Amino acid sequence: MTSSPQAPSSDASHRLAVEARHLGKRYGELEVLRDVSLDVPEGSVTSIIGASGSGKSTLLRCLNLLERPDQGDLAIADEAIRFDRNPQGDIVGLDRRQLQQLRAKVSMVFQQFNLWPHLTVLGNVTEAPMRVQGLSKRRAIERAEHYLERVGMADKRDGYPGFLSGGQQQRVAIARALAMEPRLLLFDEPTSALDPERVSEVLGVIQGLAAEGRTMVLVTHEMAFAREVSDQVVFLDRGFVGEAGTPRQVFEESQDPRCRRFVAPAA
Amino acid sequence: MDFSWLQDPFYQEYLIEGFINTLWLLAVSAVGGLALAVAVAMARLRGPRPLAMLAKGFTVVMRGTPLLVQLFFFYYGVGRLLEGIPGVQDSVIWPLLRDPFFYGALTFTLSVGAYSGEVLRGALASVPAGEREAGRAFGLTPFQVFARLWLPRAVQLCLPTLTGEMILLLKSVPLVSTIALMDLLQAANIIRDETFLVYEPLMLIAGIYLAMTVVLTLVLRQVERHFPGMQPTRRRFPLRRVESAPCKH
Repeated sequence: MTSSPQAPSSDASHRLAVEARHLGKRYGELEVLRDVSLDVPEGSVTSIIGASGSGKSTLLRCLNLLERPDQGDLAIADEAIRFDRNPQGDIVGLDRRQLQQLRAKVSMVFQQFNLWPHLTVLGNVTEAPMRVQGLSKRRAIERAEHYLERVGMADKRDGYPGFLSGGQQQRVAIARALAMEPRLLLFDEPTSALDPERVSEVLGVIQGLAAEGRTMVLVTHEMAFAREVSDQVVFLDRGFVGEAGTPRQVFEESQDPRCRRFVAPAA
Repeated sequence: MDFSWLQDPFYQEYLIEGFINTLWLLAVSAVGGLALAVAVAMARLRGPRPLAMLAKGFTVVMRGTPLLVQLFFFYYGVGRLLEGIPGVQDSVIWPLLRDPFFYGALTFTLSVGAYSGEVLRGALASVPAGEREAGRAFGLTPFQVFARLWLPRAVQLCLPTLTGEMILLLKSVPLVSTIALMDLLQAANIIRDETFLVYEPLMLIAGIYLAMTVVLTLVLRQVERHFPGMQPTRRRFPLRRVESAPCKH
């Protein structure tokens, strides 16, 4: 995959939403990410797969800097992240202003939904557009209604999250993410906390978003789904990229024995 | 039963003044105390170590000593001490420092701050971290996350306990009769001393306190009921636990 950050804006397919180079992250002695590079072209869907503890979620969380990488370079939505570094080149800090601006362009959907229980469904979806993007209440509500409609939750707009099923909560969480009209959507195991019969309603919504050409990165254990919906699949293994490529390359043609074993049940 | 003293305009005035002072003390200490509680709770959870230790020490002392002793300590101790400082009696804040109301409000504010601070600390700690993380992930500033997401959720979690604290506060107010502040009990004491009637004035103010407690309870119950997101969580949790049990095979 070639990086071309100067590509003209008309040629959207070659612009990169994520350009990560040699990312490293450790917690004390534990090295979670070791030299991970990743390109996500605009308008594409990337799935990150791998065993528990392989660093999938950490990598995803580095993309909106909920986790701060210790090493490497990162550009999100054509903007290089300005890290503070010590003389050894290790990352020691962040630019707070840039961080807030970045997060307004990158939305995240969490495994545990993380809706705000004291706000109505509508309140959950209008909160960030109003407070972060400075939308007027009226415009924020219009937007929220649009995206709630999109995920099929418009009729619950005045309810509270505590009244909703897991699948409904996750769909509201997706509407909340969409309402920021982000350049990049991150999904952190969006169906792992759901009852099996609720998984499909959420996957259906995500699939629809992929078809719209939204740029998405998802961490998932739903192999069949990842294979079907992704343009790119990345297999992470103990903090390294074990395999990366098209779903076909990863699920059928991988030369990496650990990757082959991991995807075998789905292949 | 002899309630003829109720006709006396002087006694009426005492009672009205006592009633108003009680309400004022309650309002000032509740507002000040809850604000202090937020500061104490956050200092203990997030403050730098010395500040956290200070907040902890404050909590231990205020919760570990009798309210009446604290009241005397501030009024007779600190109050007299301030009096002795040269120049204080000429300063603009002297009328405040001379007023027993100030010491009553100060003591109750600190007390509410300590008790409610401890309650709030527990509630803040039990708000799932993911809710704050979601706020950060959407670009809200740390202050917005605190003021819009974290604190309201914590208050939601401990609201019944906090409203209970307010009712206890109301019934602590008669202690100020010991520092020459005209509250309801002080009015009753004066009436007793002058009419030699012990029972009737006490019955009257007990009735007034009961009525105030009932009204306060009703008001606070409305606050609880209308707090955003309160009802669903309350109803939902016991139901969900029972419902989901047979499904997990």
